[in-house]
Amino acid sequence: MTEEKKPEERKKRRTATEAASKIGPMVKEAIGGTVRAREEGKPLAYTFIVCAYDEIIRAMDVVPVWTENYAGICGAKRDAQRFLERAESENFSRSLCTYALCGLGFDAWREELGEMPPEAPWGGQARPDMMLGSGQILCDPRNKWYQAAQHYMPDVPIYDVGLPWPLYESDYDYRDVQDYYVKYIVKELKGLVEFLEKHTGKKMDWARLEELVDLTDRTWDLIWEAYELRKAVPTPMGTGDAMNTMVPMVFMMGTQQAYDYYKDLYDELKVKIANKEGVIPDEKYRLIWGGGLPSWFALTDFNYFNSKGAVFPVETTYRMIEATYNFDMDLSKIKDPLEHIAWRWIKFWTYWHDKARKRPGSHPDVERLIKYIEDYKIDGIVMHEAFSCRTWHVGLIWQLNMLKKVYRDMPSLILESDIIDISSYNEADTRARIDAFIDTLQAVKSR
Amino acid sequence: MKRQYFAGVDIGSTMTKVVIMDGSTLAAVIGPTGPEHRKLANRVMEEALDKAKLAFDEITYLVATGYGRINVPFADKQITEISCHARGVGHLLPAARTVIDIGGQDSKGIKLKAGRAVDFVMNDKCAAGTGRFLEVTAEELGVSLEDMGRLSLEAKNRVEISNTCTVFAAQEVVARLSDGVALPDIIAGLHEAIATRVYGMVRRLKIEREVALTGGGAKNIGLVKAMEAKLGFPVLVPPEPLLTGAIGAALLGKDLVEKAAEKGETLKTSPRRLTEASLFT
Repeated sequence: MTEEKKPEERKKRRTATEAASKIGPMVKEAIGGTVRAREEGKPLAYTFIVCAYDEIIRAMDVVPVWTENYAGICGAKRDAQRFLERAESENFSRSLCTYALCGLGFDAWREELGEMPPEAPWGGQARPDMMLGSGQILCDPRNKWYQAAQHYMPDVPIYDVGLPWPLYESDYDYRDVQDYYVKYIVKELKGLVEFLEKHTGKKMDWARLEELVDLTDRTWDLIWEAYELRKAVPTPMGTGDAMNTMVPMVFMMGTQQAYDYYKDLYDELKVKIANKEGVIPDEKYRLIWGGGLPSWFALTDFNYFNSKGAVFPVETTYRMIEATYNFDMDLSKIKDPLEHIAWRWIKFWTYWHDKARKRPGSHPDVERLIKYIEDYKIDGIVMHEAFSCRTWHVGLIWQLNMLKKVYRDMPSLILESDIIDISSYNEADTRARIDAFIDTLQAVKSR
Repeated sequence: MKRQYFAGVDIGSTMTKVVIMDGSTLAAVIGPTGPEHRKLANRVMEEALDKAKLAFDEITYLVATGYGRINVPFADKQITEISCHARGVGHLLPAARTVIDIGGQDSKGIKLKAGRAVDFVMNDKCAAGTGRFLEVTAEELGVSLEDMGRLSLEAKNRVEISNTCTVFAAQEVVARLSDGVALPDIIAGLHEAIATRVYGMVRRLKIEREVALTGGGAKNIGLVKAMEAKLGFPVLVPPEPLLTGAIGAALLGKDLVEKAAEKGETLKTSPRRLTEASLFT
């Protein structure tokens, strides 16, 4: 029976930073914490990353169960297949988002058993009291996943937060419409607060929310400053590690723990730079991870790049922050916490618009790549097309083409696989591609 | 000064190719790749040495390439097929700026500058867009692979093969045959399908003229014509399109030896011994 398949054991990935190596135990503790919270009767909510409601749920003492995170853990432990297969047997198409499929397969199984599926990674995904969708442009699982999960948990209510942002057009200024977006988002967030108050029986502590909003601003700034340190040559931290250090950024925002984590990371990177301690001793090629979620089961590919003299000082994936003091408005003047969250959201997603308008034919995503390529002294670009995630992957090739058109040609590598579906991955072929890419980098550099 | 000879061994998914060069090609041998790469590499190497009338220890440097390159125990160095194809095409067709290689189980596009690869794209995920697509469908049609190119030129009314999946395309082909569609029209449709897939991939590179077509696909005149129709201009095809990788490997070996000599260094080489394949080596 497929459901009895055992996961393939994997060796732990080598990390360059102490901070990255702390993440595994932190996530394990967080997931274990949700299971304990369930037993203790605390309110639990299924939640999405980059949701803009981090501080709200923290202020309401709702324990988040990050469903994408749990699917990623299953993938990283190479134990997602049995949940994907379960979802497929429930008639969900294998071409849907595999995070969602993994979660749905898990939920279907857990609800059928009335307990966690056997040997569920890190104790399993706790049953929620509510599910908080976070609708964003393009990503339909952010609404549809929890609606589908309701088939197995009809008693669990859903609240969907709509979080749009003005899309880029070269011939208009988003500022013309930004007020409408902010107004809309504030209304959505107010609805969420009412929903949470109703289902937890608790009133929002607005003063606490204000404090957490301020803490989040400061955490954003700190992350930005820490990540900017990676410009150093040799770089003290690569994307492989950033796929760990993003955890507090997306799963712990609005907590002192996240802030403290990035303070430690900042300090560690400073020391490494002072000691000229790089990810690898002999850094030959500096690459950008220019888009695409990683294959969680194949993070050792980053070590393979390292073994060839290549490092990734920067990535666009999971760098879901900007320094708030770089925005074109003084965010600290927005005292209402919901409005503050809404403005931060809009300013983040429109951050590169002005730059794009200055370069004919460009686009904000392309401008971001260009800025990183220049700031981090990049030699080549790597992208990952994960077949099951349309949101973050549609347009990657277009971005690459535009980059080459409006900026300059540079060696590029497109990896093809998935976020957690290991059947899409072939290590030998992937590494053959990496070898060929390294050859092209060498050829370009030696010209 | 002792005369120098360089060998390139290209173990592809379908064919194994060996060339021996001293500047120009002295010997070239092509044999089918079987499950035992090492055994085949030995045999083809022996044949090439016989043809060149050389003893193995007369080979100055030997570079292996292709997806089976790690299974050449007597190679002095392994280099990726992207670099070797680039070097080989750069040597054979200096005007080429883009290479399209349609191999047995993968296809790739390479951008060249001064005979070196500066960017590439690859399809090793899906049989559609590779020689395997034709192999599978040729079987269904009862036609030999070699005849497909010629037959397709007789097409009067090319059909569209809508399935991109090789397995389903093979079924579609059978259905078309049952409908009474002429064989050349079906084969031309298959070539068009491959050309569309390959073109869609390679155009990511910003295709620059001249374009060289290599690999087994370049031996199929129907596919060459289909690619030319997609590109909108004629392509260059080397005299033996299967050999560009092996030629490039030999030339890169020569480059390495010459570079080392300039520095007064000697490169380390493997023992010139054709060892039998063993599960334990």
